[in-house]
Amino acid sequence: MNEPKQMTPKERVLNALAGKPVDRPPVSNPTSIATVELMDLVDAPFPEACRNPELNARLAVTGHTQLGFDSIQPYFSIIQESSALGCDMQWEQKDNWPTVRMSNPIWRGPEDVRIPPNFLEHPDNRAVTESIGMIRQEVGDDVPIIGKTMGPWTLAYHVFGVEPFLLATIDDPDEVMRSLHKLKEISVLFGQAQIDAGADALTFPDHATGDLVSGEYYRRFLLEIHQEMVERLNVPLILHICGKTVDRMPYIAQSGMAAFHFDSRNDPAEAIDAVDDGIRLVGNLNNPETLYARGPEEVRQEVYRALEAGVQLIAPECAIPLKTRLENLLEIPAAVQDWAAERMPG
Amino acid sequence: MPIVNEGLQKEFEYVTRPGERKHIGETLDQADELMQEMAYALITGKHLEVDRLTREALDKGYTANRILDFGLLAGMAIVGVKFRDNIIFVPEVLVAARAMKAGMAHVEPILSAAGVEPKGTIIMGTVKGDLHDIGKNLCIMMLRGAGYTVHDLGVDTAPDEFVDAIDEYEAQLVGMSALLTTTMPNMGRTINAIEEAGLRDEVRVMVGGAPVTQEFADEMGADGYGQNAVECVDRANELIVLLEELRRS
Repeated sequence: MNEPKQMTPKERVLNALAGKPVDRPPVSNPTSIATVELMDLVDAPFPEACRNPELNARLAVTGHTQLGFDSIQPYFSIIQESSALGCDMQWEQKDNWPTVRMSNPIWRGPEDVRIPPNFLEHPDNRAVTESIGMIRQEVGDDVPIIGKTMGPWTLAYHVFGVEPFLLATIDDPDEVMRSLHKLKEISVLFGQAQIDAGADALTFPDHATGDLVSGEYYRRFLLEIHQEMVERLNVPLILHICGKTVDRMPYIAQSGMAAFHFDSRNDPAEAIDAVDDGIRLVGNLNNPETLYARGPEEVRQEVYRALEAGVQLIAPECAIPLKTRLENLLEIPAAVQDWAAERMPG
Repeated sequence: MPIVNEGLQKEFEYVTRPGERKHIGETLDQADELMQEMAYALITGKHLEVDRLTREALDKGYTANRILDFGLLAGMAIVGVKFRDNIIFVPEVLVAARAMKAGMAHVEPILSAAGVEPKGTIIMGTVKGDLHDIGKNLCIMMLRGAGYTVHDLGVDTAPDEFVDAIDEYEAQLVGMSALLTTTMPNMGRTINAIEEAGLRDEVRVMVGGAPVTQEFADEMGADGYGQNAVECVDRANELIVLLEELRRS
């Protein structure tokens, strides 16, 4: 009798992203599971861990070595490229997320968009690309590294400011398209640098969220650009959009991306129906109410709910609050393994 | 008079809840053709048009209150309903808000000079670590339009800044906003700071923001939650009455 082959984490994650069979659903980490407790454990606090490759690598691997997640994410925030572009930054301290001061935008329109010649050499970009090499050396080839490159819509919030950019979508949509086409080159450049450094897949955050814009906006402004990204970045891409997104999931399913990382405000069963096998789903454990504020039992229930609905890769819905307790994070892989033992015997 | 503006008639069709239909319908019934035209221009985000119509109305002798109630706020009420019901999204609300500001630029100085007593004093900010302010700014605009004095604490507001502002402005209501799930816990920390400063009984706290829910608001110890800017005004109206009743008793 043949024993079912136990997969390496890399086989498990990449198979799941490709829609191929897995020995159990992977526990993934497309955004960030860095916490203050993990920072203290390896003496790699924010913001330094976002800016120094060695500290970055040290903190990133804890997601796999301490928590048992199947993948490693070295890019914790969403602001590394924007720092390299010259945005006004607020790096904060250990217990707060670094952010871009979007009320002080650096550009006004497409004619201003330019990639600095030393963009990839900027220390905040090298913190990620060099970290990938260090992580690979430490964990070997069996653990997948998922990098992250911001999509043009998210970059537009950072460089133009959220409000001016959203107003421009109505005042001058053609100009917005020109901006997005210029900004997408930054997504490709930084994404390719991470692939060259050894990333096995890339998260592609592009926050055209239902909290801000309609599903039609996604189709009109982003769908073709995302299809182009799939052609140009030759690793599995995981699109990430926070908030309510069910209304745009049928379009997202046409993007060609390997997976969509979705938020807990979307019912997992509804999400599965909406994408109709067109794309794999990653998610969607609630951060503020479950992972941050409740206990392991509630975490377990939510993991089971997502798996029962058919979600292919289990993950927190987005970057987790930095003071999330480790016991809740440890419960995620434990619950996935128990579910697999119950539902995928032999 | 009935709604004669064809565009506004169509916009009013989006208001389907009986209570809202009655309330907004009664307001629009009191709006004449010029106010209806202004309301429709606001809904469709024509800020230059609203600017022109407001000046025209003032030249014709309309009072600032009449323009505010039957032109600007009547239009904004329909915008709020459409936003809540996912018929429109933030860009469409932003252009309507820009149109409202264009009108308010003429109306507000007149109301201020008249020394109208505000309904109450509110401080409002986005919580520590969060730099998003669109939702907060829409709430502030609606609250000011509804007659409140609102002090905007801006973004990335630390708990002690909220506490200091309660004292400084003698605020009755505290409004907190967050767009990120990572920063929502700072709402609870701010409420704790207000408690520790001994000011919790002096104020009522309302919270909002895209990822915030009623359940989360309850767990954090907030007194009110609004899903959007229209509900924010509703919560403020309720909480200010409750606070005054409490003080009287």
